[in-house]
Amino acid sequence: MRLEKCWFCSSTVYPGHGIQFVRNDAKIFRFCRSKCHKNFKMKRNPRKVKWTKAYRRLHGKDMTQDSTFEFERKRNRPERYDRNLAENTLKAIKKIDKVRVDREARHHALRMKGKKAKEQREAAKELEQGIHMVKAPAVLEKEPSLTLPKIKVKVSRPQAEENHPMEE
Amino acid sequence: MIQPQTHLNVADNSGARELMCIRIIGTSNRRYAHIGDVIVAVIKEVVPNMPLERSEVIKAVIVRTCKELKRDNGMIIRYDDNAAVIIDQEGNPKGTRIFGAIVRELRQFHFTKIVSLAPE
Repeated sequence: MRLEKCWFCSSTVYPGHGIQFVRNDAKIFRFCRSKCHKNFKMKRNPRKVKWTKAYRRLHGKDMTQDSTFEFERKRNRPERYDRNLAENTLKAIKKIDKVRVDREARHHALRMKGKKAKEQREAAKELEQGIHMVKAPAVLEKEPSLTLPKIKVKVSRPQAEENHPMEE
Repeated sequence: MIQPQTHLNVADNSGARELMCIRIIGTSNRRYAHIGDVIVAVIKEVVPNMPLERSEVIKAVIVRTCKELKRDNGMIIRYDDNAAVIIDQEGNPKGTRIFGAIVRELRQFHFTKIVSLAPE
């Protein structure tokens, strides 16, 4: 049993899932689900399809080089079963995954750094440019502050009678 | 899913290029043939100067289908074309070389010679 990688999206294909396509030159393409298979049949290039790992790595959205990837290299020589080795490997897999996830989170944080400050600057500029949509310019000249002062208006009687035709 | 009138490529060097299925050997009324089934076919296209001739009726075993082959462990394999290897009455291939990928299931159908000649 071997966990393969989907040719299109690079996710793991577990046994019992997906389709293998053998081309006439004997190259095998493995797909994790029919979505990837259908995209392949449409001759789409995974490096141009946004949700695939190939695109993300190519465009710097995900980590490309890391020492944790070395552990997942494909090994063609089968190893003799050793209980200790198997146990240690299982423990190591967990630890390596944790390390890898942490590093990816750090990479993501680094990528998103400065986004909040940038958003706030853009929002302030937009408010400054578009303040005429919020308040009339004539009022702005009178009162340069951003909040409207509270004005009390006395309501006269005839308003109660006006509602009846509107209700009909 | 090969049925009569299906054109198949030939995956060996016996001299034929294209076959057309006429009949599926096995039970009567069998609708479709899959990988590992023997069919009766007529040769539609030949390579010139070879022992086989056009419109000769021969037997062949199917080695590749565009329809998926399902394995017991859940693996599904699909090929790019429909192909067959020409055999004689006993099941020995007529050609001496096999082209293209061959699936291991043929070994269970007792076509060991074909599997041993296959490139991968």
